[in-house]
Amino acid sequence: MSDWYSMNVVLIQTTLTTFLLALSIQVPLRFGVFSFAGVGAFGIGGYTGVIAMVHLEWTTWPSVALGTLLAGVVVFGLGLLVQRLNGLYMGMATIAFTLIISVVAVNGGDLTGGAGGLYGALGDIYTGHIVAIAAVVVAVAVWTEAKGMGRRIDTVRDDPELAGAIGIDVAKYRLASFAISGLIGGLAGAITTLLRSTITPAEVNFHLVIVALTAIVVGGARSWVGALIGAVVFVWLPTVISFVAEWEKVVYGLIVAVAAIYLPNGVLGVVKDVVHRVRTRDERARLAVLQEKG
Amino acid sequence: MGSAARTRRTLLAGLAACAVFATAACGSSAEGGSGGGIQSTIKIAQVQDQTGAIAYAGLGASEGAELAIEEIDEQGFLGPGVKVELAKYDTAGEIERASSEMTKAMGDRDVDVIIGPAATQQAAAVAPLVGRQKVPTVFTQAGGDGVVVNDYTFRATPPMESYYEQVLDHLKQKGATNISVLYNATFPTFALLGEDAVPEMAKARGMNIVQSLPVQTTTQDFAGQSQQIAQKRPDALVMLLIAPQSVTALRQLKDAGYDNRIVATSVQAAGNIAAAGADADGLVYPVPFSTAMDGESSVAFTAAFREKYRKDPTPYAADGYDAMWFIARAIKASGDSSREGIRQGLATVAKEGFTGAMGKLTFEGNDARIDGALVQWRDGKETLAQ
Amino acid sequence: MQNLLNAATLGSIYLLFALGMALVWGTIGILNFAHGATFMFSAFVGHLVTRDTELPFVAVVLIAVLVGAAIAALIQLLAFRPILKRSKNQHAAEMRILIGGIGVAAIPLALAQHVTRSSPFGFRSSYDAEVIQFLGLRLTTTAAVVIVAGLAIGIGLTVWVRRSRQGLALRAIGVDAETAAGMGVNRTVLAFGTMATAGALAGLAGALLTFQLGAIAPETGDQLLIKAFAVIVLGGLGSMAGTVIGAYVLAGAETLVLHLNYGTWVDAVSFGLIFLILLARPQGLFGRKEVRRT
Repeated sequence: MSDWYSMNVVLIQTTLTTFLLALSIQVPLRFGVFSFAGVGAFGIGGYTGVIAMVHLEWTTWPSVALGTLLAGVVVFGLGLLVQRLNGLYMGMATIAFTLIISVVAVNGGDLTGGAGGLYGALGDIYTGHIVAIAAVVVAVAVWTEAKGMGRRIDTVRDDPELAGAIGIDVAKYRLASFAISGLIGGLAGAITTLLRSTITPAEVNFHLVIVALTAIVVGGARSWVGALIGAVVFVWLPTVISFVAEWEKVVYGLIVAVAAIYLPNGVLGVVKDVVHRVRTRDERARLAVLQEKG
Repeated sequence: MGSAARTRRTLLAGLAACAVFATAACGSSAEGGSGGGIQSTIKIAQVQDQTGAIAYAGLGASEGAELAIEEIDEQGFLGPGVKVELAKYDTAGEIERASSEMTKAMGDRDVDVIIGPAATQQAAAVAPLVGRQKVPTVFTQAGGDGVVVNDYTFRATPPMESYYEQVLDHLKQKGATNISVLYNATFPTFALLGEDAVPEMAKARGMNIVQSLPVQTTTQDFAGQSQQIAQKRPDALVMLLIAPQSVTALRQLKDAGYDNRIVATSVQAAGNIAAAGADADGLVYPVPFSTAMDGESSVAFTAAFREKYRKDPTPYAADGYDAMWFIARAIKASGDSSREGIRQGLATVAKEGFTGAMGKLTFEGNDARIDGALVQWRDGKETLAQ
Repeated sequence: MQNLLNAATLGSIYLLFALGMALVWGTIGILNFAHGATFMFSAFVGHLVTRDTELPFVAVVLIAVLVGAAIAALIQLLAFRPILKRSKNQHAAEMRILIGGIGVAAIPLALAQHVTRSSPFGFRSSYDAEVIQFLGLRLTTTAAVVIVAGLAIGIGLTVWVRRSRQGLALRAIGVDAETAAGMGVNRTVLAFGTMATAGALAGLAGALLTFQLGAIAPETGDQLLIKAFAVIVLGGLGSMAGTVIGAYVLAGAETLVLHLNYGTWVDAVSFGLIFLILLARPQGLFGRKEVRRT
């Protein structure tokens, strides 16, 4: 068991950080906010964490905290700017924001290490730490999905006029979603980067947006459980289908396409469906008999 | 909070506790365990890109390494009946994959030494890990900073800046005084060359940089820059671009009317410049290895490679071959094929240097240095530049 | 002056690529992320065919156009149409089409990377560009073809969408699909036709750009996607004329930045433009679609 663990520890840690990254995009989506700024937050968190460790010589956790907070603040500011946009347009604006961060990183001279980025910031982070942090974030997510808050958020997403009519400050909720996504994204970025010990501008790019989006769509967009499932699927996919070696990217693309076409609520949706069917099996059978009689 | 949510919370807390417990229980792994002596099967892991944007580097290194293994086994170099086994791990062009594949390789107790990632980013990410886990790793390519950082990291391919001087010597010899530089400033190695190394080397030789044009990796069209260069009429152009960009730039420079000297980098090797056709004729660039090299060991390697694979070797095959022979020599030198033994052997061989496909290799610390060759491309082939 | 010519050439390339995306996005509402892969793969097939036989310019272009149309029609058939059929409304479908496109795009990319080992690839053609010199300016024949093709097709398409019956039908679908269907517009046929046309345009752009640059890499197509977004956002979604103007404005801005030797900030131009336009004038220069939230 411990051999398996030590051989796969990176995968386990990556699953957790990918989960956090996916959450940073999923949370605003559940509020009806099409924001990909979580990926930009990832970049800000990552760079800030490394800069703190390398240039300011801080230790691990203060650097992570700084990265998280800075990312949260910046993304909140972004939210203030773009809150009036809707749908894909907000998506575009937030993607543009993320990509601009990459350009700033390249041109950042010695502070950001320019094109080569920064290296040598190996954080003192163990899997236990990450699990604990993830648990806290999940607790927040659970709270947003629970009866009271969950209903309010669903209303803000599906019917903002109604929400306004019953006294929910829609604008405040949406801004809050920006702040949350910035914090979670920054946290994911800081932890990932200090685990890897390096960061370059090339990593803050569109690819991350795709990773997060596909994790959510395949796993299930409605709940944090879906994001976790999505993260597990994508991080462990190469290991499981390793026999397909060279065609891995094709298989990945196929899975994503199939999920987008046939699984509207992702794997989580399918699981819930099956569970529902099993639970109501007797009920439905009784109904069927009644219908035949009557 | 509903009962379902409560159950979930408990489960998560339990999971967290287990994970912390497991981490503490497992603790740090591999003790060096130098048992002395050479095992009968030596397992070497190659953790490089076999797919992805620079797949040609990993695939080439595999071919070179496998040729070396064949020779080592046949010659009985490490002793009678000793076999070398190569286990390949694909890092697929991603840093996370590099970390996880590296961790898998290091977690396999039978793996004694690793040929590490060719991409600088991946290499820099795993370098601290191999130091922590005490697994000797020989990197190929990976020419940036942050790679050779501890006692367990070695690099068999010298970084480009270390053998670029001969290019400027060549230009000086041909009488060039004014030089323009067109470089991809978002590509770490070229940024370093274009912004620091080349200007320094030029100044030391009394040449002037009259123009410095940075572009991005995403720049595809060079019409504007080509025209600026053609108008400036430098004696020579130092072109530091990635493969597809080089093809376009060479053509557009011609179209713009620039017909003086152009020098480039080893990225043009391995036929990457073939797509430019006649526009690339006369291009001069330094390579760590070329089939045109006439040193005895290089010629022997080329012949053996041609016989086995029925095609010409690339610089990537050459450094895979040399990395494997570096390891074999290390095992022989220390007489010990455990992880610690190989590390000591590598350090010993590095002090003395050795001769391989790339010619005479010396080392600065754990980092290789070579003379390299300056080649010229014409009619689809490389020849030594005069 | 020479710079104007360069900008015109660059703008025409952007235009030819963006036209396909704009056409489909602005009328039937599909944001096709596989457009870049279609572009690249059409050129790739051209490369495969000319590996053994040298072909003239027109033949290569024709092959690319046909392949592009075929790929796009296939994607519509296998991916987008099923998603639309299975979605409750347009909004829900948008995200899934986005992801579906991303998934599908991975397949041609992996194929091309596998065959070329990620080396750049070009065409072997009996055509060889010559340089035309006039008034002290230089222009290659390829660039001339590109400019003419870009302008002709761009203007032609704009006029067609505005004046023709099918163009009217397309715009009707874009405004209100249900009503349009009720008025006798055959959505399915038109959708296929539009996607196929967009694919053909992608193929054309692919062939022309490969001739222009000499060679492209498998990754080239995806790099152009962001530029296309910038063009469409700048010009305004739903307006073909906007796309035409937007392409040249973007190319002009980038050429200016290059001229001032800020080579590493060129990408920032597209990202920055997207961001600023969405904030200041979200409907772009000519757009009519509703972009702001009420």
